[in-house]
Amino acid sequence: MTDEIGIGELAESFSEFLGTEWPREKAVAYARGSAVYAEDLWSQVAALGWTALTVPEAQAGLGMGLSATAALHDALGAAAAPLPMLGNTLAIALIEAAGTADQKEALLSGLADGSVRASFAHPDATILDADGSVLDGQVADMLDVASATHLFLRGTHAGKSVWIVLPTATSGVSIERTLLADASRTLGTVILSSVAISPEHLMTPEDAAALDDDLLRVAAVSLAADALGGGNATLAATVDYMKGREQFDRVIGSFQALKHRVADHKAALEAARGLVDHAASLDADAPSALLAALTAKQHVTRVVAEIARDCIQLHGGVGFTSEYVPHIYLKRAKLNEALFGTRSVVLDRIADILEAA
Amino acid sequence: MSRTYDILGKVGDEQAFRQEIREWLAECTPKNWRVKWQGVREEDLKSEIIAWLGERRKVGLGTPHWPKEWGGPGLPFTYQIMVYEELSRADAPELDMFTISLFHTPATLFEHGTQEQKDRYLHGITHGTDIWCQGFSEPGAGSDLASLRTSARREGDHYVLNGQKIWSSGAMNAQYCLLLARTDNSGKRKHDGISYFILDMKTPGVEVRPIRQITGESEFAEIFMDDVKVPVENLIGAEGNGWNIAQSTLSTERGLLIFGSVERLARSFELDGKDARDTWMRDVQFRREYAALYGELQSVRLMIRQLLIELEANPDKASPTLPTFIKLIWGPFLQRYTEFLLRAEGLETQKWQPAIPGTSNSSRLRFNDFLKSYGWTIAGGSNEIMRNIISERILGLPRG
Repeated sequence: MTDEIGIGELAESFSEFLGTEWPREKAVAYARGSAVYAEDLWSQVAALGWTALTVPEAQAGLGMGLSATAALHDALGAAAAPLPMLGNTLAIALIEAAGTADQKEALLSGLADGSVRASFAHPDATILDADGSVLDGQVADMLDVASATHLFLRGTHAGKSVWIVLPTATSGVSIERTLLADASRTLGTVILSSVAISPEHLMTPEDAAALDDDLLRVAAVSLAADALGGGNATLAATVDYMKGREQFDRVIGSFQALKHRVADHKAALEAARGLVDHAASLDADAPSALLAALTAKQHVTRVVAEIARDCIQLHGGVGFTSEYVPHIYLKRAKLNEALFGTRSVVLDRIADILEAA
Repeated sequence: MSRTYDILGKVGDEQAFRQEIREWLAECTPKNWRVKWQGVREEDLKSEIIAWLGERRKVGLGTPHWPKEWGGPGLPFTYQIMVYEELSRADAPELDMFTISLFHTPATLFEHGTQEQKDRYLHGITHGTDIWCQGFSEPGAGSDLASLRTSARREGDHYVLNGQKIWSSGAMNAQYCLLLARTDNSGKRKHDGISYFILDMKTPGVEVRPIRQITGESEFAEIFMDDVKVPVENLIGAEGNGWNIAQSTLSTERGLLIFGSVERLARSFELDGKDARDTWMRDVQFRREYAALYGELQSVRLMIRQLLIELEANPDKASPTLPTFIKLIWGPFLQRYTEFLLRAEGLETQKWQPAIPGTSNSSRLRFNDFLKSYGWTIAGGSNEIMRNIISERILGLPRG
């Protein structure tokens, strides 16, 4: 499969499908409601195999790598698609690296067909004590938890870092959704009170720190790709608008002050693409893989957040209305910037890596 | 006693090729050249550069990017890239003064020159030390180059040139100039009626005045022409076709010049961080800024690599827009980074020092490098022109 489909063709098929099924009007309308995710769209993309991209072929997946993941998240960002994909992307990577044979059997095929939707703990999420037979505690800011079927939580067991995998339907688990500015994704708090756990709920990585880095790498590339897609989409929408809107008997797209701003945005996005493609192309064990991923994350999410900010301004008054699309992208861009490490945290890590080189 | 290096003989084995260049550079790069070249007189600098060019010629790398037909080594593009990469990594000096001679003149003559012109002029470049300059811009024709007004009037077997050129790099040392002048004023478009000449700088009526730059150096000059006679055989291509030929002159460096500059900067970027281990890298704000600038630097390097990959695959199919994006990202990044170093390193950076030629944008003299960064945002079509090109030709917005 990997050999048969090029990443370019894959990316084209993603954006073609979403362009038809999730046009700007749908994204705008969706943001006015309060759904936790676009359930029908999820079923459609799962049926197309999008959820199976990185699942190994042995578990009915497509066995593709991070470049495919990046192409997928780029397309999701471009459509501002309300799909809880990132949790699944990370859960697949985790299970492959640290899951037991039984856990792989139990979870991967569900992740591949989309019936499992994972909510995945942040790198700095609360670490739960999993030494006993019951679990108590709270984990805040779990991404896409309101639509999840499974929780992937951080814990310690017998002095080691572990991952705890729990179905959301488990007795004692309750979830409180937090409303976000970005309506295309959700956060929520998981409350655990006397949740019975057993060894089959735990995954114990051999090298927990290395695995954390690798999961961070996958998250960073996915978020950078999502940002890039969103940046390109909001700029395209803005340029379209500038070609049609007339003031002083001229289309506003003919004013040089505005043209130069969008030209800078376009150039910045072209430069950003290189960082995403490069980070996605590196093998997990390449010496600069984490550095490239974090660099892409901090740079691309920042650049796109600024572009998305300016795209509202370039729309003028209508940019301030919820009917027009730029606010959707601005909100998503700001969330991408904050997820999985704010910029300062990421920059500090990059500086550490540069200094250690 | 230096050993014999057979760099060209290693083509076919990338690793051996690279290794051979590294060993050659380790031995033959002029020792302490940064110190020696700093503040030397123009004439001494010229002989230093010529000596280095001579060293490069000994191993066949005088003109690594030249095809066999031009008398070059005919290296595959990947190997050309490796040469420039290794030259930058070893901090070997750049061949300042020879840029036009080694890139623009041969490209122009090989594509558009007559056999007589090739025979007459190329030998002085391949085997001699002829220095060429370029006479394109004028005081009234900078970014809007096509509005140039230097006139060339045909009189029998020669043209008579009158006018003024500006921003000619190295014109003070040049024997010849690639010159654009207007032979016809009646054209419908201002691009019509421009012709392309070879000007012998020793011709009576040519006067060169160096321009003192904000860096204190005088790399540029003005060229004044007062009834300068240029023989008809010095016309390149057809009369009136100069604009088209100029476009090909400008597009011939195939990304290698900018690649060299950026790789040099990447090297000094790394050194800057290391040298600041106990100073500004211990300041959380500067440290973060440095980490953020690393992202910008990488994005430029990746774009250039992409361009080189495309050019290698098929020069005719390479993205025509990528060079424009690169220019618009690289110059401002360089300006931000060099300015960052002024802030991070404080008062020390304010103390004036003579520039170091041959270091491209990485002399590591902070204020000089900062000032020199404008070369990339103004020269070769200012970045404002690049923004017009992107918004009109790429994004399809209407002309104002």
